Amino acid sequence: MKEASIIVCRCEEVTLEQIRETISKQGCSARETKLRTRAGMGICGGRTCRPLLDRLTAPPEGESASEFPLKVQPPVRPMSFAEWGHSS
Amino acid sequence: MNTNCDLIVVGAGPAGLAAACSAAQAGLKVLLLDEFMKPGGRLLGQLHQEPGGAWWNGIREAQLLVLGAQEAGAVIETGVSVTGLERTRDNGWTLWTNQGRYRSPYVLLATGAAESANPLPGWTLPGVMSIGAAQVMTNVQRVRVGKRGVVIGMNVLAMAIVSELRLAGIDLAAIVLPPGNALSGSSSDPEAVLESLVRFADLAPNAMLKYGAKLLQSSMTRNIALNLYPKQGIRMMGVPLQLRRCAIEIVGRDAVEGVLVADVTPRGEPIAGSERFMEADFVCIAGGLYPLAELAAVAGCPFRYVPELGGHVPVHGENMQTPVPGLYVAGNITGVESAKVAIAQGRVAGLSIAFSAAAENAPDEAEIKDAMKQVKRIRQEALIQFHPDIARSRAKLYQTETV
Amino acid sequence: MSYGRIEHHPVLGPLPPAATVSFSFDGSHYTAREGESIAAALLASGIRTLRLHEEHGSPRGIYCNIGHCMECRVTIGAKSGIRACLTPVKAGMDIRSGTVLPTPFRQATKSDRSLSL
Repeated sequence: MKEASIIVCRCEEVTLEQIRETISKQGCSARETKLRTRAGMGICGGRTCRPLLDRLTAPPEGESASEFPLKVQPPVRPMSFAEWGHSS
Repeated sequence: MNTNCDLIVVGAGPAGLAAACSAAQAGLKVLLLDEFMKPGGRLLGQLHQEPGGAWWNGIREAQLLVLGAQEAGAVIETGVSVTGLERTRDNGWTLWTNQGRYRSPYVLLATGAAESANPLPGWTLPGVMSIGAAQVMTNVQRVRVGKRGVVIGMNVLAMAIVSELRLAGIDLAAIVLPPGNALSGSSSDPEAVLESLVRFADLAPNAMLKYGAKLLQSSMTRNIALNLYPKQGIRMMGVPLQLRRCAIEIVGRDAVEGVLVADVTPRGEPIAGSERFMEADFVCIAGGLYPLAELAAVAGCPFRYVPELGGHVPVHGENMQTPVPGLYVAGNITGVESAKVAIAQGRVAGLSIAFSAAAENAPDEAEIKDAMKQVKRIRQEALIQFHPDIARSRAKLYQTETV
Repeated sequence: MSYGRIEHHPVLGPLPPAATVSFSFDGSHYTAREGESIAAALLASGIRTLRLHEEHGSPRGIYCNIGHCMECRVTIGAKSGIRACLTPVKAGMDIRSGTVLPTPFRQATKSDRSLSL
């Protein structure tokens, strides 16, 4: 199957090929892959593709993998500046 | 800013509602927040027949839980998305939401699970949705998702929802495997999928499949079955379960027009020249569930990777308390299991919090222990086993003995 | 009829009665059952495309239907990024789909590249 035609991150339309090439060329971590390809950086904040990126970048090693490969930062849902201002 | 409560529960699904009810009964002022338009969470969409023949109707079960929580004095607010939470200097919590800030000494995260995907070409087309999306549209919104669909992926959740779609009169052309790629893992491997079929045999009212599932428990008979498995599939609820066929691509210009499928070898490799076009106007992607724990991560809770529980779960004890002071978890955020287990866990969490907060009618330790035993009992009796090793991995997580 | 509502359900029973409200989507008028989501109301009317991808223009509709994926975001009045799957329809709502947005910087990068080649 052509990896170029498989979109992994729907928000930013990043393909499996782009992600796999970046990982193999740069040998990068989940975080660096995200920054280089923009996969997981779209409006949903990686809600759909985060588990997929995790599978590609950091195969969990049993129970030693005690943290998320990708850091989670608030807001965990997108919100407008108006809402943000209202709440803080 | 809303500061008038002892406990904020995030997520009004089965776990959150049950927790709110028991905590409020014990005398705590409880506020439940949920981003959906009505309380009930994923329980709302559930509809299946119990072994005794009675129907488990998620809408009715949710109504009962909502009523119970409200009668106990809990307040439910819907349409509220919690976007972050932070520990305050006085050992409480501030929650940021799209409706302003909230403060509370205790927080229970009952955010449930989210669906994993199995991406394939064409999956961004309108008409392609997660299988859970089809469930909500069908049973909660009562809107038809399409004329004829294809389900891609075979797992417990997929089988349960296929039954529900059929019950609502939705036509399904086939259930096929996802294509094998760097992301699909064992979900595109016919043998691994066949092995997991055993676990949802009780969900399939089709006697043949139940009978077959018993036979499939040995790896030798599984291999034979796989080689003899008919390409057109075995029918389940009138839908061909095509274990020897995978989706290659979802086809359509402006929306789904069909799915290109191919026969696969017993090892899951597509057979060249076997491709065929299956007409459909909607596609359900069934990639399974993983615990939705992002708020626990934001709160600084440590995690464990437990594949049997669906992925990364926040560290917690059997009493549903996390190592972060004032932070509790219950339901699918702690591992993917059935709604009944989530309800039982929610009850434990509500009682634990009331105990810790020294609420007016706080339970004693024996009562909490009883509630914890009840979780184990319900887990054992569960109709839907999401994973065969749940009990063992839970025991390891809690460092307790399994029964 | 490919879309529309599940009027009769063998276990859940008949569709409970609900008031009808009207709203507009991209200038066309539709009706909804009061209290249902925008995504449900539009799908019941046969509308599956809720927006075009901002950059590439690929059509998108609901995907997760529970507020995680943001694929169903629409603009209501002056407010953009509203999830159609979580938002109940209200009478008179003026709902707009999303469309391709200009990407001036990307264009510049492309022409820079072609100039340097």
